[in-house]
Amino acid sequence: MSAAPTPSCHESGAVATAGPDAAVVALAGTPNVGKSSLFNTVTGARRTVGNWPGTTVEVGRGAWDLGGDPARRVTLVDLPGAYSLDAMSPDEEVTRGVVLAQGEEAPSAVVVVTSAAHLARGLYLVAQLRERTIPVVVALTMLDVAQRRGLDTDAAVLADELGCPVVALDPRRRRGGGQLAAAVQAALVRGPLEPRHTPPTSESEPAGDELALADERFSWIARAVERAQRHAGGARRTFSDRVDRWATAPVVGPLLFLAVMWAVFQVTTVVAAPLQDALDSFFAGPVADGADRLLAWVGLGESPVRGFVVDGLIAGVGMLLTFVPLMALMFLLLAVLEDSGYMARAAVVTDRLMGRLGLPGRAFLPLVVGFGCNVPAIAATRILSQARHRLLTALLVPFTSCTARLTVYVLLATTFFPEHAGSVVFAMYLLSIVLVVLVGLLLRGVLWRALGAEPLVLDLPPYQRPTARLSLAVTWLRLKGFLRTASGIIVATVVIVWFLQSVPAPGAAGTFGAVPVEDSVYAAIARSIAPVLAPAGFGEWQTVSALIVGFIAKEAVISSWAQTYALAEPSSEREPGVLGQQLLETFTASSGGHAGVAVLAFMVFLLAYTPCVATLAAQRREIGLRWTAAGVAMQLAVAYVLAVAVFQVGRLLW
Amino acid sequence: MTSLATAPLRVVLHVENADGAPESLRRRLAELGVRPGALVSVVQRTAGGGRIVDVAGSRIALGRAVLEAVTVAAATAEPCGVAAS
Repeated sequence: MSAAPTPSCHESGAVATAGPDAAVVALAGTPNVGKSSLFNTVTGARRTVGNWPGTTVEVGRGAWDLGGDPARRVTLVDLPGAYSLDAMSPDEEVTRGVVLAQGEEAPSAVVVVTSAAHLARGLYLVAQLRERTIPVVVALTMLDVAQRRGLDTDAAVLADELGCPVVALDPRRRRGGGQLAAAVQAALVRGPLEPRHTPPTSESEPAGDELALADERFSWIARAVERAQRHAGGARRTFSDRVDRWATAPVVGPLLFLAVMWAVFQVTTVVAAPLQDALDSFFAGPVADGADRLLAWVGLGESPVRGFVVDGLIAGVGMLLTFVPLMALMFLLLAVLEDSGYMARAAVVTDRLMGRLGLPGRAFLPLVVGFGCNVPAIAATRILSQARHRLLTALLVPFTSCTARLTVYVLLATTFFPEHAGSVVFAMYLLSIVLVVLVGLLLRGVLWRALGAEPLVLDLPPYQRPTARLSLAVTWLRLKGFLRTASGIIVATVVIVWFLQSVPAPGAAGTFGAVPVEDSVYAAIARSIAPVLAPAGFGEWQTVSALIVGFIAKEAVISSWAQTYALAEPSSEREPGVLGQQLLETFTASSGGHAGVAVLAFMVFLLAYTPCVATLAAQRREIGLRWTAAGVAMQLAVAYVLAVAVFQVGRLLW
Repeated sequence: MTSLATAPLRVVLHVENADGAPESLRRRLAELGVRPGALVSVVQRTAGGGRIVDVAGSRIALGRAVLEAVTVAAATAEPCGVAAS
C-alpha cells in the first residue's frame, strides 16, 4: 500500500468508503477500458474519465452496495491502467501494490475490466491473477465496439476457459452493474479460487523462466480467446481507419492538428466574448452598486471597508468569474477531443516532434493538458515511465500557455489590436509551442545529451461520438477544481494587495486606508522593480505590480489591474471598457509611444514566466524543490530576454 | 522476411520475432499482441515515419524504431485486413 502516491484520496474522503470492516475489492484492467466509468456508475462518484489511456493516475476509493443490505457494502478501489503485474511505470506500480497487498489492505477480490474489442490484451492480467488464489471477476466492456468489428464474444465460454465469472456490461450507458454486483458477491462468498495449472518452473534460470512463463500465459490467453470469440464478418476497414487515413497521415495529419487547435481557440474567444461582457457589466453595475448602497446603509460608506469590499473583493472576484465561460468552453472542447479519441491521434502526429526533444509521444498529453491548466498537467507527467522524461516534461509544462494566461491575452489583444485579436492570441499559442520546443532542445543539449527517446507504442482507441454526460462531467470537474484553487488564491491575493495599497509608503502623506494608490507601499515596491523592466517597454508601476501578483496566479493579473485603477479613479467611472483605456495610457507612457510593441513584449513575458504558485506546488511534489527553483530561474530568464528582444526589435520596425 | 517498417501495406503478416527491441519494449509489444506467431497487418503510414498496425482487430501506432525491430514474413495469401487470432 505504501506504493500509492496519494494516500490523501483515502483520508480526504471525497467519497465515503464502506468503512474499515468492509471487504476491499480492487478494480483493475488495461488502460482505457472504462474502469473509472464503471467505478463512477457503481459508487456514484465523479472520477475523471476520458477516451485516452492513462486518464487515471491515482487510486480512488468508493463504497459499492452489492445489494441492498449494508453488510454487503464493499470498498471499491479504482486503479490506474496496467497490462500486467510487472510494473513498468509508476501507475502500474500502484496497481501492483494494491492488488498484491498483504494483511489488512489485501483485497478480497479483483474485478478485471476487459474490453471485448481487445480481448487478448486485457487477459494477461487475468492470466497472472489466476496463478494465485484471489477471487477474480472479469467485467467485459465495449461489446458494441467489438460487434461493429465483426467480433462475437461468448461470455459463458470465456468464463469456462478462464475459470472465473465473466459479466458483460456497458458502463458508459450504465448497464450490467447489477449483474456484476451479484457476481462479485458470489465470488466473495465462495472465497479463494483454485489457481490455474501452470507448468513447473526451474529455479536455475530465473530470467529465461520469466520469458517462458510469459509465453505460457500468452498461449493460455490465445486458446481462451479463440474459443470464446468468433470473427463473424470478413475483413473490413473500420470507420476509424477511414478517419485515420487523414488524421494521422503525413502532412495532412499535422495540418489537421493545427487546424483543430486553432478552431478550439477561435471558438473559445469568439463564443465566450459576449458572455464575458454580460458578466462584466453585471458585476461592475448592479452588484457593485448594491454593495455600495448596503455599505452606506450600515454606515460604512466612506470607510476602508468599502474600498476592500467593492474595489477589492467584488472587482477581483467578479473579474475572475467573468472568465468562467471561457474556461468552461476550453475544458469542454478538450474533454470532447479526449472522449472522441482524437487526442491519441494527436500524440501520434506529434511523436516525431516530441522525439526530437528526447520525449516519447505520450509526453504530449501533459503538454496539451497544460494548455488548459498547468497544475493537472504536472500531475499527468506520471504517465511517463522514465524519471528523466517526467522531469523534462514537468520543466516544459510551465511554457504551455494555460487558460488563465489566455484571459490576459484576450483583454490586451481586444484592447490594443481589436481588428486582429484572434490572430494575436493564436500567435501567442504558436509562440508557446515554439518555446516548449526550444527550451526542450536546450535542456536536452545541456543536461541530458544521452537522453534516449522512448519509442512510440500507442494503442489507438476507436473513434466514438462523445457523450454529453461524460464530457460535461469532465468539464464540471475541471472547472470546479480551477475555481476552488483559484478563488482561494485570488481572495488571498486581493486581501494582500488591498492591504499594501492601504498602507502609505514611508515618507508619503496619508493614513491607513486614506492614501492615493500611487503613494502606497504597493506602488513603492513595484516602482523599485520597474527600472529593471524598462528595457522591455513596460517599466510602469501598474504593470509591474500586476506581474508580481501574476506570480501568484495569472487570473489575478486582471483583478489586480481592476483594483489598482478602480482605486485610482472615482468609483462613478467604473464601467466596462474603462480598464482598457487606462491600460492604453499606462503602456503608452512606459514605452515612449510604442504601446503596441510594449503590449506584445508584456504578453511574451507573461507567457514565459512562472505560471502560478499552484503549479510550483505541483512541481515541488513531482520533481522536488531544487528542480522547481531551477525551473523558476529559467522561466524568469527566458521571459526577460524575450520581452526585451521583442520590444527593442519591435520599436525599430514599428 | 522483412521488418514491419518496410513490409507492404494491407497484407497479412506473420510476426517472426521482435529481437531488435530491448526486453521491456518486447514485453510491451507482446502485451499489445505483437508477439511471435501473431498475425498483423500494416494499415497505413503516419506523420513522423510511423505506421498504424492492425493486431487482432485493434489498432496500435508504432514509431519507426519499433517497426524496424519487428521481423515479419508474409502469411498465407489471405485477403487484406483484419488478422484473426
